[in-house]
Amino acid sequence: MDHFKNGISLTSIRNGLWCATAFGIVACASAPMAVEKLAVAKTSIQRAEQAQAGQFAQVELQAARTKLAAAQTAADRRDAEAAARMADQADVDAQLAESTARAKQQEQLVTEMEAGLRELRNEALRRDHAGSAPPQPPGR
Amino acid sequence: MNREIIVAAAAVVAVAIALLAGCETAPEGNSTLDEARAAVQAAESDASVAKHAQAEINRARSLLTNAEGAMQQRGVGDAVTAHYAYLATQMARIAEQRAHEQIAMARIKAGETERRQILSSARESEASQAQAQAESQRLAAQLADLQAAQTDRGIVLTLGDVLFDTGRSQLKPGATRALDQIAAFLNEHPERRVQIEGFTDSQGASNYNLELSQSRADAVAMAIIRRGVDAQRVRALGYGEEFPKTGNSSEGSRQMNRRVEIIVSNNDASIPGRIAGVP
Repeated sequence: MDHFKNGISLTSIRNGLWCATAFGIVACASAPMAVEKLAVAKTSIQRAEQAQAGQFAQVELQAARTKLAAAQTAADRRDAEAAARMADQADVDAQLAESTARAKQQEQLVTEMEAGLRELRNEALRRDHAGSAPPQPPGR
Repeated sequence: MNREIIVAAAAVVAVAIALLAGCETAPEGNSTLDEARAAVQAAESDASVAKHAQAEINRARSLLTNAEGAMQQRGVGDAVTAHYAYLATQMARIAEQRAHEQIAMARIKAGETERRQILSSARESEASQAQAQAESQRLAAQLADLQAAQTDRGIVLTLGDVLFDTGRSQLKPGATRALDQIAAFLNEHPERRVQIEGFTDSQGASNYNLELSQSRADAVAMAIIRRGVDAQRVRALGYGEEFPKTGNSSEGSRQMNRRVEIIVSNNDASIPGRIAGVP
């Protein structure tokens, strides 16, 4: 009984290890990569949020968040490949959200600056016009 | 053995799930790839993107190469192809946004330079205006002292006939102070010219009056030249009975018409001539 039991358990342990190793080669090879990519995507989303993508690149930021959630779901069900891909897509979406938000903010600054410059130019023009008339001493 | 079967079954299910998940996220490979090709090409052909976001363009190009490779290996409609194509498209868009940002930043920089220039020239013009105002106030004070008037022709100072004896063109000592001040003013403003115009009333022969007015004007001109003003800047004209200040009906009005006017030019402008009918 003991011997029999022992034999079975040894075999099953060995086979189980083989199985786990075979599965692990597939799963483990990409699993740490997926974890890494998830972290990278999360960081990119945070950068986008800091760049005010929530205000200036809503669509892109939302796409990144949705894909990050999908990547997390894929990782939870141990689908490392799908998780890695989704995380990569979330990452570029977040980068696009960040760069779009930055560009839009700079462009907004340009618009404001040009309005200010127009006012300054007009002011200068008015002043030059007023200044071009010679000073008039009091008459008789 | 049962455990082995369970483990093997679990592995099969996992692989199936992975494949299903892969298919789930796979849009049509070809259209995504076409989109990526177009996006990367558009970004590459944009000179400003090439200038400001070369690294992003390179990444987009290499992702597109990955997508093309996956398509050749795995055929149309493959998830990996679509995945790389999507990344390439997004990277091309990122390149474009980076370029937009850089262009906007360059404009802001240029705008700030212009703003500084406008402000500094505003300060300069304010300073020069303040200087001009101070100058004009000083001038006004000098003129007020001489009881002169600013006109279109220039600054006009009128010497009354009390400074000459009747029929004579010799200046009396009472004119000295006024002449000193005019000469000082002209020496301080070397760009200005002076014109001296003599007038009489309508009593007596007009030829005589013309000559008298000329010689009185000459006398004033000489007095100014003697005080250091270059003769080139001084001109004397006799108008006789012309351009009376008022009618010649009473002694009071005739006295007003007997006069010498000293006109100092505005800046270096020449003094416009008299127009008939305008006193």
